[in-house]
Amino acid sequence: MNVLELKDVTKKYGGFTAVENVSLELEPGKVLSLLGPSGCGKTTTLRIIAGFAAPDGGTVQIAGEDVGQLKPYERNVGLLFQDYALFPHMTVAQNVAYGMRYRGTPAAAIPSRVKQMLSLVQLAGMEARYPSQLSGGQQQRVALARALATDPKIVLLDEPLSALDAKLRLELRIELKEILRSVGATTIVVTHDQEEALSLGDEVVIMHAGKIVQRGAPTQIYQSPASKLVAEFVGRSNWFQATRGSSSIAGFTSYVTSDGVEIRAKSPPSDRDGRVNLCVRPEHIELMDSAVTEAPRDADHNSIAGVVLDVASLGPDVHVVVELPGKARFLAIRKNVRKIPGLAPGQCVRVLFSASDVLVF
Amino acid sequence: MLSTKERLNADVTVRTKALVGAKPILSKRRVDILLAIAVTAIIAVTALFLLFPVVVTVLMAFDARDYIGPFPPTELSTRWFGKLLEDAYIWAGFRTSLLLAIATTAAAAAMGALAALAISWMSPRWRDFVTTMFLSPLVLPGVIIGFGLLMFFAAFNQVPVFLKLFAGHLIITLPFTIRMTLVGLAGISQTLREAALSLGANERQVFFTVTLPLAKNGIAAGAIFAFAASMDDLTISLFMSDFQTYTLPLALTTLIKSSFDLTIAAAAVALMGLTIVLLIVLDSVLGLERAMGHGTNRIR
Repeated sequence: MNVLELKDVTKKYGGFTAVENVSLELEPGKVLSLLGPSGCGKTTTLRIIAGFAAPDGGTVQIAGEDVGQLKPYERNVGLLFQDYALFPHMTVAQNVAYGMRYRGTPAAAIPSRVKQMLSLVQLAGMEARYPSQLSGGQQQRVALARALATDPKIVLLDEPLSALDAKLRLELRIELKEILRSVGATTIVVTHDQEEALSLGDEVVIMHAGKIVQRGAPTQIYQSPASKLVAEFVGRSNWFQATRGSSSIAGFTSYVTSDGVEIRAKSPPSDRDGRVNLCVRPEHIELMDSAVTEAPRDADHNSIAGVVLDVASLGPDVHVVVELPGKARFLAIRKNVRKIPGLAPGQCVRVLFSASDVLVF
Repeated sequence: MLSTKERLNADVTVRTKALVGAKPILSKRRVDILLAIAVTAIIAVTALFLLFPVVVTVLMAFDARDYIGPFPPTELSTRWFGKLLEDAYIWAGFRTSLLLAIATTAAAAAMGALAALAISWMSPRWRDFVTTMFLSPLVLPGVIIGFGLLMFFAAFNQVPVFLKLFAGHLIITLPFTIRMTLVGLAGISQTLREAALSLGANERQVFFTVTLPLAKNGIAAGAIFAFAASMDDLTISLFMSDFQTYTLPLALTTLIKSSFDLTIAAAAVALMGLTIVLLIVLDSVLGLERAMGHGTNRIR
């Protein structure tokens, strides 16, 4: 049975529709990421599930029970807030125990449960500290322990890692995933950060303008985005505006960009006759020094001549901006390894990418 | 490699040379120094100006002359303090003032806290309107409030003077308690309330376990201001008092008009001492910075 079921949930604020006909279901123990830009309705969806906002239409069921009319404290939903929302006048132990006091945990069982929760989030011995005495990462763990202590049916995480710095974020992301898995929490992560969404979720739901635009596994979302919108939002991409080209090779569709460059895609031709948008991910691109080699040109390979504009080394990756014919700019991401020779601005290169890596919208 | 200090030194040398080389009449750096001196001087003069009446009062209270002579006193004594202890008129005023301030503070703190809580729940448009209304006694001249109350109480027979004083003082102290509680409440993040609700506490439980403990400092700060305002008030008390029930400021004013006597200076010094003791006690119990400031409820 599904732990959570939203059916055609709609929420309006005045004339603005924040959430429109959203349906979701979630199996026990699964982690679902709700990803979208700000204002896409993901936070409203979270607030509807938590009970802070009442839907104008549709039904919300938690563990088979219709909770649409229940107050937040009448449903057992654990919430992790972006700012952690720890009670500043209570110790760590009191914070973690807070929910248990009201969710009917016997008073005698509370101290041992607090201890258990704190060791789960690796904060054993911090019981007597106040939130102001903890680091950001520690505060987040206390908030997680507090949310999990009442054994909620669903755990809702609101931008769980966004308040942390980059290095800590990676550490806590791995830890957060482990903890959620170890307690078997059914979880919804709401975030605008694609890395957070893709890494934490077993499945990802992309929202835009109050609607769900795609749902799928993280790799699927990235590799086969359902629309231009999704492709734009998840990952980096290079875009070409193009029309259908004349040359035809079996299994390929040919397009001509507005700058006259021919690009082949492996996907079947789009139904639309007019303009299409071609998308190529920067990490699918190979750059070759055109002075050294003449690029192999088989049917599967696209090859465009260009000039290197800028090279930026970001540690593991090198971002190379290449100017293509018609002043179009193109980003290629290469691994920063010794065996790939470096490039310099002004150098003439060949931009190579496989036809199967071209996405057509 | 140069150490940081060496590099700093080198930097200073280079800059100094550049200055010497340019030789302007008033270098940028010199303007800065002059400005700093001017600002310090202004602060010093302001501080002196503020402290002057206090210093004069304290010195005069120890004046040995038996009339109000020119400042400074020629001889010192504690005779006026002795007289103050025996002065039944001042003591009666003090007793009334203290009782009145305590009653007013308690009532204003409770009512102000509740009003502020209600205001914080209102929609922004109503919130502004109601806040302005509640805070209006701050800008309304005391004479008008006093006169209005006098007319109002004249409609009833035999209202006890203490009750009239209490009503008047409540009007002028409520803005302080409301304002400070609002400031305290504003420091409480909305997510704290929501976190508590999601953890199973109902609205009432959230109020007593989260909102009230966190607003406590704001309420206390408001109470301090209310107490001070009540002890200090002259205008309202002037309208509400009679010859039997009067406040300390009223007694002191009457005294200065009727007799050339320095008991009033002694009383002022005693009041100052009392205030300092009160502040020290508050500081040790609550932390004055915390009570007056409003950054106490933030974690980060």
